[in-house]
Amino acid sequence: MTNQQQSPVLSVEGLVKDYPGVRAVDDVSFSIERSTVHCLIGENGAGKSTLIKMLTGALQPTHGTMKVNGSVYQPNNTHEARGHGIATLFQELHVVDELSVLENLTLGMEVSRFGFFIKSDLEDRVIQTLKAIEPSIDPSARVSSLSVAQKQIIEIARAASSGANVIIMDEPTAALSEREVDRLFGVIRRLQETGVTVIYISHKLDEILNLGDTVTVMRDGKHIITKPLSEVSGRAELIELMIGRSAFQTHTPRTKISDEILLKAENLTNDLLKDVSFHIHKGEIVGFYGLVGAGKTEIARALFGADQVAGSISFKGQKVGRSPKHAIEAGIALVPEERRTQGLFTNLTIRENIPVMNLRNLSDYGIFRSADEVAAAIEYVDKLSIATDSIEKHTEKLSGGNQQKVVLAKCLFSDADLLLLDEPTRGVDVGAKTEIYDIIKDLADEGNSVAIFSSELEEVLGICDRIFLLYSGSLEEEFINSPDVDVSHILNVVTGGHEGAVL
Amino acid sequence: MAQFLRNYYIYLVLLVIIVILSLTNLDRFDLFARGNFLYDRNIINILRVSAPLLTLAGAFTLLMVSGYIDLSVGSTMGLSAVIYAMLAINGVPFLAAFGLTMVCGALLGAFNGLLVVKLKITPVIATLITLSLFKGIALLLVQDGVSAIKSIGDIKMPTWFNSYGREGVLMGLPMAFWVAVAVTIILVVAQNRTLLGKYAAATGGNPIAAKLSGIQTGRVVFVLYIIVGVTAALAGIARSSFMSLGDPLSGDGMELNAILIVLIGGTAFSGGEGRVFRSFIGALIIMVLTVGMLTLVPAYFQTLVIGAALLAAAASNHLISRKAAE
Amino acid sequence: MSLVTKSAKPIGHKRSLSDEMFITMLVASVAVGIFLLASVLVPNFFQWQNLINLVTNNWAVISLGIGVTFLLVSGNFDLSVGGIVALSGVLSVWFVQSTGGVNALSTGLGMPYWLGVICALGGALAIGGLNALFVVRFRIPSIIVTLGTMMVARGIAQVITQGSQRNTNLPDEFGFLGNLTMFGTSIRFPVVLMAFMLIVAVIIERKMVFGRITYWIGANPIAATLSGIDKAKHVTYLYLFSSGIAGVVGILLSSEFKSGYSNRGMLMEFDALVIALLGGVAIAGGFGSVVGMFFGAIILAVVTSATTGLTLSPDWQFILKAVAVFLAIMTQTWALARRNR
Repeated sequence: MTNQQQSPVLSVEGLVKDYPGVRAVDDVSFSIERSTVHCLIGENGAGKSTLIKMLTGALQPTHGTMKVNGSVYQPNNTHEARGHGIATLFQELHVVDELSVLENLTLGMEVSRFGFFIKSDLEDRVIQTLKAIEPSIDPSARVSSLSVAQKQIIEIARAASSGANVIIMDEPTAALSEREVDRLFGVIRRLQETGVTVIYISHKLDEILNLGDTVTVMRDGKHIITKPLSEVSGRAELIELMIGRSAFQTHTPRTKISDEILLKAENLTNDLLKDVSFHIHKGEIVGFYGLVGAGKTEIARALFGADQVAGSISFKGQKVGRSPKHAIEAGIALVPEERRTQGLFTNLTIRENIPVMNLRNLSDYGIFRSADEVAAAIEYVDKLSIATDSIEKHTEKLSGGNQQKVVLAKCLFSDADLLLLDEPTRGVDVGAKTEIYDIIKDLADEGNSVAIFSSELEEVLGICDRIFLLYSGSLEEEFINSPDVDVSHILNVVTGGHEGAVL
Repeated sequence: MAQFLRNYYIYLVLLVIIVILSLTNLDRFDLFARGNFLYDRNIINILRVSAPLLTLAGAFTLLMVSGYIDLSVGSTMGLSAVIYAMLAINGVPFLAAFGLTMVCGALLGAFNGLLVVKLKITPVIATLITLSLFKGIALLLVQDGVSAIKSIGDIKMPTWFNSYGREGVLMGLPMAFWVAVAVTIILVVAQNRTLLGKYAAATGGNPIAAKLSGIQTGRVVFVLYIIVGVTAALAGIARSSFMSLGDPLSGDGMELNAILIVLIGGTAFSGGEGRVFRSFIGALIIMVLTVGMLTLVPAYFQTLVIGAALLAAAASNHLISRKAAE
Repeated sequence: MSLVTKSAKPIGHKRSLSDEMFITMLVASVAVGIFLLASVLVPNFFQWQNLINLVTNNWAVISLGIGVTFLLVSGNFDLSVGGIVALSGVLSVWFVQSTGGVNALSTGLGMPYWLGVICALGGALAIGGLNALFVVRFRIPSIIVTLGTMMVARGIAQVITQGSQRNTNLPDEFGFLGNLTMFGTSIRFPVVLMAFMLIVAVIIERKMVFGRITYWIGANPIAATLSGIDKAKHVTYLYLFSSGIAGVVGILLSSEFKSGYSNRGMLMEFDALVIALLGGVAIAGGFGSVVGMFFGAIILAVVTSATTGLTLSPDWQFILKAVAVFLAIMTQTWALARRNR
């Protein structure tokens, strides 16, 4: 009818986002057609999340324009984006557990007079929207009684009934079971029929081949291609597009690995993990690689005793896994996934952060040797090149990379023989990344073992001696790292290739 | 089963307590005879004394549902009682005194709201500050050497002063009780039928989601503090009328009772969860227990029993919610 | 991994004033300032003896403040201390009163004094254990738990004294400890004990692993657990220490007055909380110091005694307390925000 109908629902032209020293998104242009499922793929660090943050108003582009229905669109926050009909399904759920489904769907949109609810077609409308996308959910049920997947559907329905015509979904299936994923796909297809456009971000290539209409591939901040999925031949082509010319740091095989087995885990099983068994040698750097939700953090926490799982873990011939305290005493240390909430004491100084995992080393009869504490702090600041003017600086004022180094220092100070590093370089700038890798290698050369749990392939290929591939809680494959590993095969495995076998 | 328990245990508790008290206090064979627990004068007495707590229960619940707390309710009550008595003894007519005291309560509540919402002081600290502040003002309003505003010599309280809290107007129960019932009905409606009730639950349940949905959570909390202030003033009026004096300390310990009854009513301390009507029943339980107990054991057992009830309620809430989560 | 090597070059070691020291100095200077202000306004305020009285008259609350401060630093409330003061005092009297008095209130268990004191302390620790059980095991908010145990403790005291007090049939040595003057001065044993506990507390807080663990738990409980700290055990110890101190205070107060009074220590829990807050202890945990708490107590003491000196009605103290806490909180927030800008 009008040209509004003809112009793409959303388009970006020459979009650039610069961070100090890094160009996260580099001159990206593409457009998204109405009522399609538009998939966005790329390796970690390819610039997907930065792009999405600009679309939702959480970040402002350095250059370039975004257009909604042909007119310029410059949101300053998520609320304004919502006003333009662009809603986001965040990874953490924003529903009120204590209210009913219907109350959640109408939250903030109620029709009222003098504060009293009045009859309107609002409820019928949202119920219809809900029924259209997922008839099995009872609108009067309490949200707390629903599963994660159902809560997600509630959020989708809320976005749809609030008039959003573009819904961005960032890894929506990370916490879902297979059956729930099927249901979500049904929901997305029905949404599409009602004229809603979905931007779908996922690492799971089967999902993308199964669900999407169009795919946009990003690599190193650049737009590689946008093409209909009907023209894509299969997983192999997508993987090819994502990795391009292999730019991976080549791994130089290390020689100092001993045959002695340091840790042996057998049949680890919990809600997610399925019978995971492996062992780690003395002096070895092993990598656990998999997507979000593949079970990396669960394995790390189980080894450290932070969560109890079925199965057995023996470390230097001794049973571990009872509690973090016990693990540390045995010689295992963990750098947790969330640095600020799980690793660091942000309102304490660098000096006060370092000794926490090894109190005996710094005290006699419960009394701190302050001079040694200062010396230790200075030593680690020096050794890990933590950029600070004083060891008395509060860690909350440090940059992400330096904060991570403090957490690392804390673990190094514990004199552990096995270091578990969960996403050790997430949110860390490139310079600090290399430094952290060097520290890890030095540690291993000194005879310690390191296990890296990472969702960055470049990271595990760059420094690990042996790599385990994980997919939805099971250990799919194990291989010795070498310069001629088959990257596309790895990506195939961790995106579910063993099961779907579309390759 | 757990769900059933969660929904109805509170009524069972009330019933069990009443049955026990009725049987242990059986003076004669007729359950409803004079001296027995179920004797109508006895029940009327309990309900009369309960009026202040019943008035306060609903608003306090809504505030807790939104994830906030007001420890100053006792002091607000005491200050309101003093103001009301002063107005009465100086010849202000009933309705005017009543209205002015309610306005004062609203202002005190707004002051709490200001500290918490605008100055962002932690609710516990902010309302501890006002607990002390309001109590000090109430004490200063009463002249030195006297403990409360009351009839002295020629200066007499008007006759209506006393009747609000004592004289039966319907079914032998006084105005104060019916006001408590009316307040509860209004708040039950507010919780179920208005934006306020829903937004309170959203604010307490998931503040980020509430804000993302465009709800001004600060305003919701502010309004709730005002409502708590008004009901605390009404509770103060009821108490001072019942005792025929304006005692600045008449609300002391009320915050404990209020916390106790909302916990008994199943309100979650973390917010989001809780019903006005259940707290009303919770208040009845506590009053029946404390008044009924006096016929069994000496008065000095009261603190111990209330403290133990508080711990028991907290522990059982914890156990029930964990069961339900499983 | 090699350990501390002494030869580390002195980079990055510039000892700046920590935020905690900054706040403590701020509180201390406010205390001095307010004392000087009171000296100008109130006749005869500026006297050596008066300064000593500010501390000695408040030994009980300051002692309680030590345990309360440690718990606040760990991120927990303890409102039960006032109730424990009443309980342990009443228990010590009841245990020691000789058997066969003329009525129930003058009849006790006839224990020797030392045994009575130990048993009374056991009663206090039992309340602390109850706090720990509910807070640590059941994970119920500490403010609710300790409000409940405050009432339970005071309730037991009221039952034992039948709502009044026990003061007869006590051996002479019962009044000894609470009234013992020391060093040939008028300074009594409880004050000396308070000073001793303060010093020990400062050493624990500044120099010992135990103190540091308290800060770690308060600053980030999750990180503390993942760093191998046994949070449950530590918080249990803190509750036991706090209730132990409250028990000692209750026993000494009973000894001083030679009576067990069930309303003793009323509102002391709030005063202990107030002085900690005045002293810059953060309610969110992980921040604060015992020294700050001590100066907080001095501020409160000056305010209260100045009101008396100005012959204001004692009712003013509630308002002044409220204003003092309000100003303290606003200043500290403001000062820290400015400093960290």
